Amino acid sequence: MTTLADAATDGAATPRIDRLGVVIAILMAVALALPFVTFRATRIAAGNGLRLFDALPPTAAAAVGAVLIAALVTAVANRRPSLRLALGALALVALALGAGAAGTHLTPADSPYARIAPGSGFWVGLFAGAILMTDAMVRLKLGPVGRLIALAVTVALVAGLLASGAWSHLSLIAEYRSRADVFWREAINHVILAGGSLAAAVVIGLPLGVVAYQLRAIRDPLINVLNIIQTIPSMALFGILIAPLGWVAANVPGAHAIGIRGIGTAPAFLALFLYSLLPMVANTVVGLNGVSRAVVDAARGMGLTVFQRLLQVEMPLALPVVLTGIRIVLVQNIGLATVAALIGGGGFGVFLFQGLGQTATDLILLGALPPVALAFAAAVVLDAAIEISGRGKA
Amino acid sequence: MIDLSHLTKVYGDTAVVDDVNMHVEAGTITVIVGTSGSGKSTLLRMVNRLVEPTKGRILVQGRDVLKMPAYELRRSIGYAIQSHGLFPHWTVARNIATVPMLLGWDRKKVAARVEELMELFQLDHAQFAGRYPHELSGGQQQRVGVARAMAAKPALLLMDEPFGALDPIIRGKAQADLKAIQRRTGTTILLVTHDMDEAIHLGDRIAVMDAGQLKQYAPAADILARPADAFVDDLIGTADRPFHYLTLGTLGSAVEPGEADGAPLAASASLYEGLGALLWSGRKAAPVIGDDGAPLGRVSLSGITDRAAQPR
Amino acid sequence: MIRPGLLLRLVVFTALIAFLAMPDRFAGLLAPLTDNGAPAIYNQGSLVSLTLSHLFTVALATSAATIVAVGLAIFVTRPAGAEFLALSRAAVNIGQTFPPVAVLALSVPAMGFGEGPTRLALFLYGLLPIFENSLVGLSTLPPAVVESASAMGMTGRQRLLKVELPLAMPLIIEGIRLSAVIGLATATIGSTVAAKGLGEVIVAGLQSNNLAFVVQGGVITGILAVLISDGFQILARRTSKRRGASPQASRPATDGQQAPV
Repeated sequence: MTTLADAATDGAATPRIDRLGVVIAILMAVALALPFVTFRATRIAAGNGLRLFDALPPTAAAAVGAVLIAALVTAVANRRPSLRLALGALALVALALGAGAAGTHLTPADSPYARIAPGSGFWVGLFAGAILMTDAMVRLKLGPVGRLIALAVTVALVAGLLASGAWSHLSLIAEYRSRADVFWREAINHVILAGGSLAAAVVIGLPLGVVAYQLRAIRDPLINVLNIIQTIPSMALFGILIAPLGWVAANVPGAHAIGIRGIGTAPAFLALFLYSLLPMVANTVVGLNGVSRAVVDAARGMGLTVFQRLLQVEMPLALPVVLTGIRIVLVQNIGLATVAALIGGGGFGVFLFQGLGQTATDLILLGALPPVALAFAAAVVLDAAIEISGRGKA
Repeated sequence: MIDLSHLTKVYGDTAVVDDVNMHVEAGTITVIVGTSGSGKSTLLRMVNRLVEPTKGRILVQGRDVLKMPAYELRRSIGYAIQSHGLFPHWTVARNIATVPMLLGWDRKKVAARVEELMELFQLDHAQFAGRYPHELSGGQQQRVGVARAMAAKPALLLMDEPFGALDPIIRGKAQADLKAIQRRTGTTILLVTHDMDEAIHLGDRIAVMDAGQLKQYAPAADILARPADAFVDDLIGTADRPFHYLTLGTLGSAVEPGEADGAPLAASASLYEGLGALLWSGRKAAPVIGDDGAPLGRVSLSGITDRAAQPR
Repeated sequence: MIRPGLLLRLVVFTALIAFLAMPDRFAGLLAPLTDNGAPAIYNQGSLVSLTLSHLFTVALATSAATIVAVGLAIFVTRPAGAEFLALSRAAVNIGQTFPPVAVLALSVPAMGFGEGPTRLALFLYGLLPIFENSLVGLSTLPPAVVESASAMGMTGRQRLLKVELPLAMPLIIEGIRLSAVIGLATATIGSTVAAKGLGEVIVAGLQSNNLAFVVQGGVITGILAVLISDGFQILARRTSKRRGASPQASRPATDGQQAPV
């Protein structure tokens, strides 16, 4: 039996120009034409863009340029995903090393305040290389283990670059160096906020989901209420929670002693926890609902008790959907924890909002990039876990 | 009506339809029968170009379909499928009106045509016109699907397993209704099925397909009497063959002079039905009457069973 | 008889309008949250005009995102755009792991302060849920229905406009709802980059330690978000009701569902 889709793909057999490749090539060409780095005399001075050959010694510039052009040509002329993946990765590495080298090359010995930051050309090139890699990875149909390995390699490469000092003259690293202690303290704060609220949501949300699955009467009202909470903007919810928590801190004996305050970590933690409940409860209910009736009947027929059935049959089968809930919560909380800094909750948002306040781009990046990277890594890891847990259960 | 010459469809390295030549008479029902993967649906779908042929030519009413815009071609050919494909966001009336609206008929003419068709397919207009497809039973959805396919009075109607989703009792009635409607309208029908019973019941001619090739193309009686090869033989089923054969003839053809006791049988009933009636009532023979009720003679058990033997 | 849910919405909406129209009447209610005779009602600008510019920013960004995202989803589901389909799916998945606040912050170096970066961030981030939902809507239509449309002799354009888009509409609307809710929240944070909006009230309250400001800003944005989200949900339910099944029912949360920002 053939379908319309088959008919539509008939034409794909005839060789045609790869339009995605053309888009990537254009982006790469734009990247080469734009300033590779920007040079600023001080941390917050206006920047001055420098093209590749102005930013690097001729040999280094030629090497980076050659790799980018090779990637450009591959994008248009070669459809082999493995080659495209390799060239995309190579382009990213060349950009990373090139930016670092430009920092070292351009920093004047006598001016410690000068800042060298990656320019628009660098970012566009990074984007083009990332698209080339992503498309190749999609076409290679990388399995969960493959994706985890790719993530591990990326993390190792970035860590290696950071440790080697190759980037030490880039402004972002300079910004980090001047506040390394605070950075790691806030990093831990961030992880505790996001991870702790997730843990609390799992401990409360899972049983709540099981109960909601069993009792139809409370399911809809509960999910409706949680839905409404999800809709409230984080800044609003953080703010609204300050008042009751402040009252608790002042009036409930011992509350202040265990760290409950009107502002700070407590309202942030509580808000993140409340946000986390909907994905946990809803996905538990949907996951359990999705377990085939025949399987449940068979388990019942073999004499499993309600609890045995839940633990040995229903929960394992619902696991992929429940894990999807956990993935949503974790990615969401890593992002939302950034906003917590506004009410004194700490986390990477501290740098981000300070940076916004001082119009210091490097500080903004220092606050914005880590949560982006963390959320992305969490998504990759949990997606792999979901896929592995779902094997053979479809 | 339809002329297929050297029609071929290749996917990758496999010829799904392999050099098929076929001529379909106007005003007849032609059934393409085969197992799944035999290429029968692909063959059908090339006629209205839902699948583009790799090679070969298709003439419909003398016109080369590959030389006209696909959408124009399709508006002139009816198409009905197993899962009916009704538009879920449109009412029954709007669904039936699809092609007339595309052709730009005026509103009154469309409305009149919809009413006419709903009556033809035994769907009460007042009750069903405003309903949505999900509010209908399977049998009703199927009838709306066929009504929609016939809305613009196409000379040719293509049907891909149109009764596949119906349960056996409704299916029998739907088949009989289709046959009656076809006789009344004179529409040429090309129908695909995997069910040999359905093919024999409906088809003026039957085309048997296997592995992309047209194995045999002949009237039902010929297929039963002289299967072209082992595959066709197998598809018919040895045990059922005599009974299939009996469904093709009427009692009228087996009337012999004489009289018999008991309730009379209609001359228009099939030999198969006659045999059943005799066996069940434990008679060796029964009287036969014409449409007007006039006695024509009698049919006997042996007279019927003789006709179940393979012709020589 | 009016359903209790509808009644509750009406009451909340009326209360919101009343508060915005004459906030000073409510000063007594908020006064307990203030210290040392600080003002109970935001006094550095009109709440009505802040609300309107907040809504305007969101409406502008969400409309633009809707046009672009639905257009893109249509493009990648046509034969001409098929090459971009796999990549665009991956891009949306990756994009949605980006925290909106990070997108907002990263827009500032590119666009400077004010309304600009907020609108850019709202637009960019707003694309994702609409694109994802439109893509799901347009690529999971019942094959028999789509094929029927072609077989009836509809041109590609007629099929898109008469069959595919109407059938995908409930999911598209759900995408717009998510986008609007995320936009409302991100616009609140936009006040930290000097965009005019209700976040100003909260930020002012946090800076001057005036809990009354924080609470009124929070409650107004919260109510707006809930009411707007509700409105889209009702609209989506209307468009899917005829079809018998509501596509939203018992769908697990997926990455596109993350709403709070």
